[in-house]
Formats: sequence, structure tokens, C-alpha cells
Amino acid sequence: MEKACININELINVFSTKQGSIYQSDKLNCFFVDFGGKFARYNCLSLRKLKKVVEDIDIDALLLNTHKADFELVTFNGCEHIYLLNACEIVALKELLQGTFTMFKLNHLISDCLHRLVV
Amino acid sequence: MKDLMRIKCLISQDIETLLNQQIKKEAHSSSLYLSMSSWCDQNGFDFSADYFAKQSEEERMHQLKLFKYVLDMGGNAISPEVNGIKTDFAGFREVFEDALEAEIAITQSFKNIYAKCQNEQDFVTMEFLNWFLKEQREEEYKARRALELFEVIGEEGTGRWEIDKHVNKITYSEQ
Ligand SMILES: [Fe+2]
Ligand SMILES: [Fe+2]
Repeated sequence: MEKACININELINVFSTKQGSIYQSDKLNCFFVDFGGKFARYNCLSLRKLKKVVEDIDIDALLLNTHKADFELVTFNGCEHIYLLNACEIVALKELLQGTFTMFKLNHLISDCLHRLVV
Repeated sequence: MKDLMRIKCLISQDIETLLNQQIKKEAHSSSLYLSMSSWCDQNGFDFSADYFAKQSEEERMHQLKLFKYVLDMGGNAISPEVNGIKTDFAGFREVFEDALEAEIAITQSFKNIYAKCQNEQDFVTMEFLNWFLKEQREEEYKARRALELFEVIGEEGTGRWEIDKHVNKITYSEQ
């Protein structure tokens, strides 16, 4: 498991909800998504892809379509992780990812102000 | 905390999305012009068929230019699906009316991206877009001039034949 080889103290908690957390490792230049009983590692590209995949799920259709199971497989090509989520969990994951990316934006603004302005 | 997303990519996700939409629009334009070229060819308007075939190639080039930019900036460029291309036109004039309408829509689309860049202070993308804004000046001019031939020459008699001969000669110069 990934968990065994990383020092949890070095992880920065980017954003948390009741359902999960996303951490950043400045040392490994990657992210860890703690959600749905999984602790999964992502890089920048794959985290962005995960967000897109989750945002693209049509939750209304999932609930209204009686011919389909109310679960959705969440994964994409090149992703080592698979989530099997119901509608509520998809909403929760979406919230977690969107919150995280908002924190990235905020961090970007702060980084610009603190470190990148040449005085 | 490191600004990891920014280290990987110069443009924001919003700008990346808009640029990918533009890639799709350019691909759509390219296909539409090719469709117009086909219609003109089948109806005996050889010069116009050439003109639209050339336009189609130009739109493909625009698409690739945007595509390369998104990738160079560290973004995810998406090869677009193109569908719903109009294949039948009511007449010779309608082809040119549609062409101008399409160019106006493209100009508007670039203005919207530019506005978003201004909002985000993404001066790098704004500078990149300048080329396209200038290009639109020429594209709209040519489309408008072509349509004006219908007024100047008129469609009666050998009018359409005359218009067809002139379409290919339209050029734009800043001076
Ligand atoms: Fe174009
Ligand atoms: Fe064009």
C-alpha cells in the first residue's frame, strides 16, 4: 500500500469534507486522495482528469434511468484506481475535488504575491 | 505548499477549456468549408470550390495552432469530434451568407476568450490570441467582399458565372 511508504506528517491537507480528504506531497510532487476507503496517489494530470471524469457524470440520468444500476464506475485510461460510487458518493467526490481545486487557485494567488513578485 | 498545478501548466483550467472549445470550432469551420467546396464543385462553381477548399485548409491550420499552444503551455489539448456539418445549400448565394455568418461567430468567440484572459490577467494567452484577432479581420473582410459580389454583379444571366470567377481574386491587404 502507498500508505506504508509515505510519511503522513509530510502531507499537506489541501481540502477535507466529512467524506474524504485530499493531500499534497511537496516532496513527491503528487497528491493523495483519501476517499471511499482508498488512499490513492495521483499526479497533476491524473487529478485533473479525475475531476473532469467526475464532473462529466450525469447524476440526474443515473438516478432516473431504471434500466441501469445506480452505481457508476469512476476511472479513466492510465488511472490505477477504480471507484464504484453511488449518486451520493459521486456528489461527495465532486465536492471534494472542486474544493481542492479552489484551494489550488487560492494557493496560486498567495504564491504569486509572496514569492513571485520581484520587488 | 508548492503551487504544483501552476508548475505543470501556464494556463488556467478555464482558459484551457475555452481554447479546447475553440479548437473544436476551428475544426467545425474546416469541415463546413470543405462541405461548401463540395457543393460548389457539384454545381459547376469551380473557382468557388477552390476558394472554399483553401479556406478549409486555413481553418485546419488555425485548429493546429491552438492545439500546439495548449500543449506547449502544459495543458491537455483535445482532438475534437465534429458533427452536424451542413451539406446542402439552397443556392450559390446562401453558401456565401453562411460563410460570413460562420466567420462572425468565430470572431465573437475569440472576443469572448480574450475577455476572459483579460479578466484573469493572462497576458501570455492574450498575446497569442492577437494573431487570431488579426486573422479574423482578414477572414471577415474576404467573406463580406465575396457576398458583396452578388450585389455588384447580380445573379441574373451569366451573373453567377461572373461571381464565381471573381471569388478567387479577393485579397486583403492592410495598406
Ligand atoms: Fe479560423
Ligand atoms: Fe476563418
